[in-house]
Amino acid sequence: MSHHVTFNDLPQGGEKFEPAKGGKLIGAFGLFGLLGLLASAFFFFKNTDTFAYSWLFAVFFCFTFVAGGCFWILLHSASNSSWGVVVRRIWENMANMVVPLAILASPLLIPAVNGPLYEWMGHHRTAAEHAAHADHPTTVKEALHHMAADNPHLHVLVTKFGYMNLNAWYIRFGLYFLVLWFIARTLRGKSLQQEQDGDIKHTIKARQFSCIVLLPYALAVTFAAYDWLVGLDYNWFSTMWGVYIFAGCAWASMAASILIVIWLRSLGYLQKVVTDEHYHLMGKLLFAFTVFWAYISFSQYFLIWYANITEETRFYLTRNTEGWREVSIFILLGHFIVPFLFLLSQQKKKNTTYIGLGCVWILFMHVVDMYWNVIPERGPSLGVGVVVPYAWVQDIAAFCAVFGAMGFLYLRGLAKYSLYPWRDPRLLESVNVVN
Amino acid sequence: MSTTLKRVHGYLAEFDSVKDLYHAAEHVRDAGYQRWDVHSPFPIHGMDDAMGNPRSKLPMLVFCGGITGTTVAFTLETITQTNFWSHIGLGFLQKIVETYPTVVQGKPTDIWTLPAFFPVMFELTILFSAFTTLFGLLALIGLPRWNHPLFVSKNFSKFSDDGFFVCIEARDPKFSQEGTKSLLEKAGGKNIELVEDEI
Repeated sequence: MSHHVTFNDLPQGGEKFEPAKGGKLIGAFGLFGLLGLLASAFFFFKNTDTFAYSWLFAVFFCFTFVAGGCFWILLHSASNSSWGVVVRRIWENMANMVVPLAILASPLLIPAVNGPLYEWMGHHRTAAEHAAHADHPTTVKEALHHMAADNPHLHVLVTKFGYMNLNAWYIRFGLYFLVLWFIARTLRGKSLQQEQDGDIKHTIKARQFSCIVLLPYALAVTFAAYDWLVGLDYNWFSTMWGVYIFAGCAWASMAASILIVIWLRSLGYLQKVVTDEHYHLMGKLLFAFTVFWAYISFSQYFLIWYANITEETRFYLTRNTEGWREVSIFILLGHFIVPFLFLLSQQKKKNTTYIGLGCVWILFMHVVDMYWNVIPERGPSLGVGVVVPYAWVQDIAAFCAVFGAMGFLYLRGLAKYSLYPWRDPRLLESVNVVN
Repeated sequence: MSTTLKRVHGYLAEFDSVKDLYHAAEHVRDAGYQRWDVHSPFPIHGMDDAMGNPRSKLPMLVFCGGITGTTVAFTLETITQTNFWSHIGLGFLQKIVETYPTVVQGKPTDIWTLPAFFPVMFELTILFSAFTTLFGLLALIGLPRWNHPLFVSKNFSKFSDDGFFVCIEARDPKFSQEGTKSLLEKAGGKNIELVEDEI
């Protein structure tokens, strides 16, 4: 065990990040983001239909990090933890990326974008037109009911009308970002106020606040996952879906925060506050969520596979046939078995080279998982076969645009505040943590 | 007067506090003793480091136990319910046991019906891991046993209430009647006694 760190060993005012030091990575993110945005603008006007799916994939991928960062600060405050104080600012900043994310997600509000994504919206818009031109006063729901006489598939839309209608969708879209923004901003605000006066009351208030907003947070993430991904096929439903997406959020954001810590340490920051123990602790949570994700995703698959109900199996039929079958098997291996075996050993979790490589792999698998969730719907929904030829170029462009821009803004944003909450009453407890 | 034969078990020294016990453990560790132990009413954080204990072998055993569980479940299920072993040229295995492929809702009877078997594979992995943990732990710490030589000492009964003890056993190669005693005295030990075990 090394020397017990005291306040005399730590710099007054915490550590300030200078973007110039990490210029290479920040520059790379910025460049990819810029090129991606240019390419995206081109594809957006050229192939709006197919590009909508690429954009949804990229935006949702980044959404999982914001939701994950939000979850970790909530959990850390609500459970009265001390171990993660030194890495908490990284999560706080991650959660506060919700504002640029909302801007990047705003194209999804345009009917030309969400129309091709969500078939139900098309039916609803047609129904609204019918209702407007009807001889006698008709509601949209009634118009939809009329349409269902010719197209029996639409009956399910009539029964789901209470939840699945355009106004509610738009309101909820705003609410999700509002809830996440409110949580992220409040918790970082309390953390920053504490740096001014060093008062423990901010820690206590953050705990009370977190316990209250855990439920709205869970609802926001769950229903965002329903509205944006399950809505791609209006016939489909799965009560496991929210938990499944949440597990991925927590998993990927933990991997990302480990990578950020490793990167900051390689630039000479956080040298005295982060130790092997923190890598070990974060590695353990990563391991826990590897298993949790597998448990949830298998439970979802298993119930649907066994029950064999037509409306439900469609989701897996699409993904278990043609080329997607190999991707599914690859996800089973790469998303669960490989990280599971890799993260079992304590030595590997404490070794920055190993855990760094593991986290890069985990982020890659998270990309594959999100891609596998969104993109297989594209071909069948647009009626162009299984896979849209060369659409993967658009997917890469959208991914570079959103992830590049978000990464660029995030890393630059690190410079705004101290890299760790340096006046947190539990800072020393966290620095000297042993597990 | 007793005529029973006795064997020296080791030296037992008492300490006043956790702090004293911790530093005494560091002393004994640095003196190079192998067969010794500390006794306290509650677990003490960092004591493993102070004693210089290596990492336990238990996790490795549990891993092997878990893998065995997975393999047993996989083999048991595929050999009785699918044609998987015939497909990979090991059909004779399926003749040994009675194979009875169960067709449920038209699900295949080859390797692709594997998801149906995951719950059992999962459960047996947990079961075997749990058994290995319990019985491996008991084997490694040498339990159960009828008695412990230290129970001879009247003073030692405090170990479950407010006593902190170090015991250096006589079977340690470094053990000597004078050297070990003076080491414990130097480390701050009180009520040092030579514990003898009745044979």
